[in-house]
Amino acid sequence: MTRFEALTGVRVRESYLSSDDAQFAALRTGAASDWDIVNPSLNGAWRYVKAGVLKPLDLAKIPTRSQMYPPFASTDKVKGQNGATYAVPYLWGLNPIVYRTDKIQGEASYATLFDPKYKGQLAMRDYALEAIAIAALHVGVPRERVFALNASELAEAKKALVAQKPLLRTYWQTIGDLTNLFATGEVACAFSWRVPYDELKGKMPVAMAKPKVGIMGWCDCFAMPASISDEKAELGYKFINYLLGPDYASQIAEKGNYATSSSIIRDTLSKEKQADIFVDDLSVMDSFLWPIAPDNYAEWLKVWNEVKAS
Amino acid sequence: MTLPPRLRREHLAVPVALLFGLGSLAPIVVLAVLSVFRVDDFDLVPAVSARTWIELAGTPIYAVLIGKALLSGAATAVSTALMGYPIALALRRLPPSLKGPALVVLLTPLYTGEVVRIYAWRVTLGAEGLVNSALQALGLTQSPLTFLLFSPFTTGLVLAYNNAPFMILSLWVAAETVEPRLIEAARDLGARPLDAFFRIVFPLTLPGLAAGVFTVFTLAAGEMLTPSLLGGTSGATAMALIENLFGTAFDWPMASALALALLAALFAVAAAGAALVLLSRSARAVLWRAP
Repeated sequence: MTRFEALTGVRVRESYLSSDDAQFAALRTGAASDWDIVNPSLNGAWRYVKAGVLKPLDLAKIPTRSQMYPPFASTDKVKGQNGATYAVPYLWGLNPIVYRTDKIQGEASYATLFDPKYKGQLAMRDYALEAIAIAALHVGVPRERVFALNASELAEAKKALVAQKPLLRTYWQTIGDLTNLFATGEVACAFSWRVPYDELKGKMPVAMAKPKVGIMGWCDCFAMPASISDEKAELGYKFINYLLGPDYASQIAEKGNYATSSSIIRDTLSKEKQADIFVDDLSVMDSFLWPIAPDNYAEWLKVWNEVKAS
Repeated sequence: MTLPPRLRREHLAVPVALLFGLGSLAPIVVLAVLSVFRVDDFDLVPAVSARTWIELAGTPIYAVLIGKALLSGAATAVSTALMGYPIALALRRLPPSLKGPALVVLLTPLYTGEVVRIYAWRVTLGAEGLVNSALQALGLTQSPLTFLLFSPFTTGLVLAYNNAPFMILSLWVAAETVEPRLIEAARDLGARPLDAFFRIVFPLTLPGLAAGVFTVFTLAAGEMLTPSLLGGTSGATAMALIENLFGTAFDWPMASALALALLAALFAVAAAGAALVLLSRSARAVLWRAP
């Protein structure tokens, strides 16, 4: 941020939010009047667009956008019905399977998480949305439909999860919780975030797997509130342009182990670094799966709790 | 300072009582109102809809989770009472100079944060934890006992540990008021220690036991962190479901209905228990004796 401030003479002030829900609520109720840039998730952007709280963007004012990876540049999730673009994806990552290479044979896959051979060494996140989607993938529901299951597919997924339950050591709650489970040897394979891998590589033989059948990702976007003034909007474009540029991408790759949505610095990175931030093999983007809560999510919660209480 | 004659000392309780009453009633009213609203595209729409209550009555999982909360509360109340009596009676016999330090020690578990305690339990009970390492080093077990952590056993143990101080405190205070000469007289007249306990100490400490039971029951029934972080795959709770319904699912009406149902169930069980205890002969003897 200091770099951007030096370049433009503008001071960036940050507000912190507890969740996407809180941000959405603030925009809806007008509590966000002093924000010029907001941060919706790629999956949740549609409700901001639908509610009309975002400004349609003039993409010509974001030249660095030209080097964005195609899945981010072409995504419909940030577009309104009128075809206008309301948000720009800029930071993303994957939720891999993390596993101990000394305890799991071969590369882990979603099937590993349902394999009786590893009874007592597995963990799933205590999160209906992801758990049910993974079970659906496991029972053969195609990737495009795992967040829009029909009743019989939901029942199939539930059956798989009930069968999986006795194989699990526990359901993890927070990523610190899961890291602790790996570190203390309770768990050898889990549907995860990358954090335990980063924390524990070098201390124990851990690896990340990115199943081809579908890999869940997260992606943050930048957008401007609909009410922003023209003058501030010009600065907003500069800011977005900066975040998609080489400066920010290098820093975040180095310090945060994350990739931006732009390919701008990819070729200057070592193979190792590319692998670390998931851009060594770009075919991974063909398996992207963006979690999105279905309309009947309360139904999913019921199923998930029936699994947990079974 | 003298108070105006019409204002009696008891009236000093009124402001706090009002605050307490409103503070408990207002959220219940809000929940009741929300429970009949509709949700439309992430908007709460005022309406009078019975949807949530019909669903609540027709879906077994809600009843199962509420039942689980009641059971967990009751089991914790019983286990803390069983271990609380011997400790409370021992504390009662301490010399007065040691009672202060004993109180401090008794409350020690409450000084540390809950999350810190949870991770400490993991270090203690885990597969590579203290207990398992000790058992294996002594040759008592060949492989780690996995039920020690992430099982209903763990939840029960930790809930009992966390709530024991509340129970012991109530029992201790009640035990202090038992006239020692009554016990001596009973023993002189030939009562064995257990007889003396059940015929003298237990009846006279019943109000203390009741206070402890209700405190522990409510605290344990509403616990969410301990079951979810230490109970393993058996850690589902109504509280966690309510949180999920309020959050990602954005089904505030359903969350409100479930919260109210849980509250009603807890209240019903606690009230029935209270009536049972407080109307007993011995409790009446203690509570309604002349001042």
